Amino acid sequence: MDRRNFFKIVSTVSGAVATNACGDKKPLIPLLVPENGIVLGEEQWHPAVCTECGAGCSTIARVMAGERVIERGEEKFRERIASIKKIEGNPLDPVSGGRLCARGQAALQSLYNPDRLRGPMRRNGTRGEAKFTAVSWDEALKSVADKLKAYSGDQILFLTNAPQGTRALTIQRFLEALKAPPARSCGIGDFALERKAAETVFGWRGVPVYDLANAHYVLGVGADFLGGWLSPVYYSRQFGEFRQGRGGVRGHLVQAESRMSLTAASADEWLPVRPGSEPHLIVALSRMLLDEKPAGQLPDAVAQSIRTADLAALIRTCGIEEKRLRGIAHELGTSEAPLVIAGASVVQSNSFEALAAAHYLNALLGARGVLPPQPEPPSAPASGNVLEAMKRAKVLFLDGENPAYVLRAAQSLGALDLIVSFGSFLDDSAAYADVLLPAHHALESEAAVVPLGLGGVAVTQPFVRPLYDTRPIGQILGQLGVAFEAVNVKDYVAPMLPADQTWENVGRQGGYWKQNSGEAKVTAKELKWSEPVFAGKPEEFPLHFQPYLSLQFHDGRGANLPWMQELPDPVSSAMWGLPVEIDPKTAEKLKIATGDWVRVESGSGHLEAPAYVHPAALPGVVSMPIGEGHTHYGRYASGRGANPLAIVSPVWDGAAGEFAFGATRVRVAKLERKPALIQFSPQDREQGPWGER
Amino acid sequence: MGGKVSEHRWGMAIDLDRCTGCQACVAACHAENNLPVSNPEQAALGRAVHWIRVDRYYEGEFPNIRVKHRPVLCQQCDEAPCEPVCPVYATYKNPEGLNVQVYNRCVGTRYCANNCPYSVRFFNWFDPEWPEPLQLQHNPDVSIRESGVMEKCTFCIQRIKRAEEEGANNLQPACVQSCPAEAMVFGDLNDPESKVSQLAENSRATQFLEELGTKPKVFYLERVK
Repeated sequence: MDRRNFFKIVSTVSGAVATNACGDKKPLIPLLVPENGIVLGEEQWHPAVCTECGAGCSTIARVMAGERVIERGEEKFRERIASIKKIEGNPLDPVSGGRLCARGQAALQSLYNPDRLRGPMRRNGTRGEAKFTAVSWDEALKSVADKLKAYSGDQILFLTNAPQGTRALTIQRFLEALKAPPARSCGIGDFALERKAAETVFGWRGVPVYDLANAHYVLGVGADFLGGWLSPVYYSRQFGEFRQGRGGVRGHLVQAESRMSLTAASADEWLPVRPGSEPHLIVALSRMLLDEKPAGQLPDAVAQSIRTADLAALIRTCGIEEKRLRGIAHELGTSEAPLVIAGASVVQSNSFEALAAAHYLNALLGARGVLPPQPEPPSAPASGNVLEAMKRAKVLFLDGENPAYVLRAAQSLGALDLIVSFGSFLDDSAAYADVLLPAHHALESEAAVVPLGLGGVAVTQPFVRPLYDTRPIGQILGQLGVAFEAVNVKDYVAPMLPADQTWENVGRQGGYWKQNSGEAKVTAKELKWSEPVFAGKPEEFPLHFQPYLSLQFHDGRGANLPWMQELPDPVSSAMWGLPVEIDPKTAEKLKIATGDWVRVESGSGHLEAPAYVHPAALPGVVSMPIGEGHTHYGRYASGRGANPLAIVSPVWDGAAGEFAFGATRVRVAKLERKPALIQFSPQDREQGPWGER
Repeated sequence: MGGKVSEHRWGMAIDLDRCTGCQACVAACHAENNLPVSNPEQAALGRAVHWIRVDRYYEGEFPNIRVKHRPVLCQQCDEAPCEPVCPVYATYKNPEGLNVQVYNRCVGTRYCANNCPYSVRFFNWFDPEWPEPLQLQHNPDVSIRESGVMEKCTFCIQRIKRAEEEGANNLQPACVQSCPAEAMVFGDLNDPESKVSQLAENSRATQFLEELGTKPKVFYLERVK
């Protein structure tokens, strides 16, 4: 579907009949389609919003007739319903431009997942045993409402991964009515450090937007913006333009990262910096530039800190040759449109300092490509140390977050008085719940979502009937004995609209969007950097361990999608299980080959997984994609592979208190077990011990 | 058919300087073409099916190592090695230059897959499973293949047909449509004005394993060094 054709559809939906170019009459589609409005073989397209990550891409869903089997008692019969066949990007949305990432497209398999919860349930086994009995909504809601009365304030903890928008605001109002603290997220993949750095340096509320498409020379530091950082679809589109979209100018990308990410792989040059040396790299480059040019917008105190930095020590820490760094500093300093994009795809104890230092470096360069975000409404869930909050809590509400998986919080979950989950699946954390109150799936709900940093709002209204006995989240919360008003999409969106947009239009288009513009003005006056802190003694645990957000599963929530399980891993081509990535020198020393089973041990635990000898891994740095290793998450994910987050020691970012999940040291040992690693790529299969297909 | 000269000759250009290796194309192909999903046991035997895959090559040694990505799909060869070896004419060249697979003619000799230098043909070793209600996602425009037949990329022939029937001018296979970096371009090689024809003439344009003489209709624009 391209922009013009989709626009043709959406701009004619409101009428009853329209005339096409050939002059014959075609029935038009009302916004809310009754099931019997589906004509076999005819397709309809409806706007939706992707919630597979927090980027907030507007999408369009292709709806056609489908058949499902329903069971009533002993009887089974087939029913024809409107079903979603495919999800594409919304061509009117400048974030996606009609394009969509693999995970966004696979959201379909979350909606039609065979392991979705069919209705409310109550625990009938011990905590964590995951035994539940189906109950009526009345009974389930009453049991929660009765218990909830006894708790208030800090005793209530609400974890959600809802992006900015109606769902987050509904939850906020519910919590305000309960006099409970604001909702929080688990802190992986929610970019709290990026927000904090933008707020500290520029006074912005939200994540900055980078104008990659118009830059000439870009230095990326720690931000896998083509993989899973912020909005991969937006940045991939920008990247295409940056590379080949402008006649005569081809953008040059230098990527500094402690692992060969998708972004590093696409870069013209990769700087394999040591984990936690990102601030050092940026300060070193700033120092080299300051030796040659005036300080520009840089505050005096910051310029002074940079000038007095020990350059030789900085260079030693990041492990890159001085000559190479000088070359990059020179190129950045002389480029017509330089830009530094720093992020914390893997969070270290000093990541905040790297992000702040990068903002200063952009100021020094006079980079014009750092754009202010659309200010976030105050309903943003805070992250920070969720484990601490969980210790104080007695009642836990789970909405899409999975602390048992992400934060190894199973023990804390066991100690709570009441756990209620609104998720569509029985996951690692919901297994500890007392009551499951499944809300409608995102593709069955109405919602407005504010794209991450980018201007505008994406809107969806229900267009397929909910498959199961689920309810809208606002309705569920409203029936827990707390008086509050759930947010209605129209009421949320209408006040945000400029004069030239009407609610009706926005509803049909799937949202409205506006360009980010404005200047980045440094308001802070301080630059600090520190040595990274790692858990575990180097003599005991000689290797660094970096779990990272995977392309397929993000923070683990995509693991129950069969398409994503079968999507070959971009690094190792692995399917149905992810390996530990080990550099060739370490592998040789430990006599490990690709496919061998290894035990990875930290001070906090151990895991077992197949090894992948990664030719581009940093010596002494072991990485592992996040996503597998769920105790509970349906047939496709349960009991498959290992969870790298399960052996991460709790280190918290010094400046912002965020979970530094890349700050653990480990040791690796080979296990005497039959090699096993399922790979797709023909060349890997030929090299592997399992022969050709 | 019958020797009629078609007005179209479908081709594709993939700009490797734009491609990030994100595999959006792979997921799009699964959704559009009802590709079977395997399981760990079958996948371990090399029976997983991806009509399009992203090959990645590591060149050099750390720290001077580079990664190259290349989406590989059926190259729709003009001189297709898969065609002459099929004993039942299940694979042949259609009038628009597409190398097509007739599922109900295929008897499963697998000679074609054996002869394909690009490893883009897949045999159905098992009947695919779609646990209820996963079948609701099926695209009704594309048939579900059962065990015993070969399958491969069709350049989304159902989209080509729909576009021809409806007179639409926005024809794109699912992979091209989804590509966030807009690295893929599809079009008519017979139309010299089409973007794909122009890209095929680009100085960076190459064909994959062109030395084999397969004459692919997929053109790769090499990454700028």
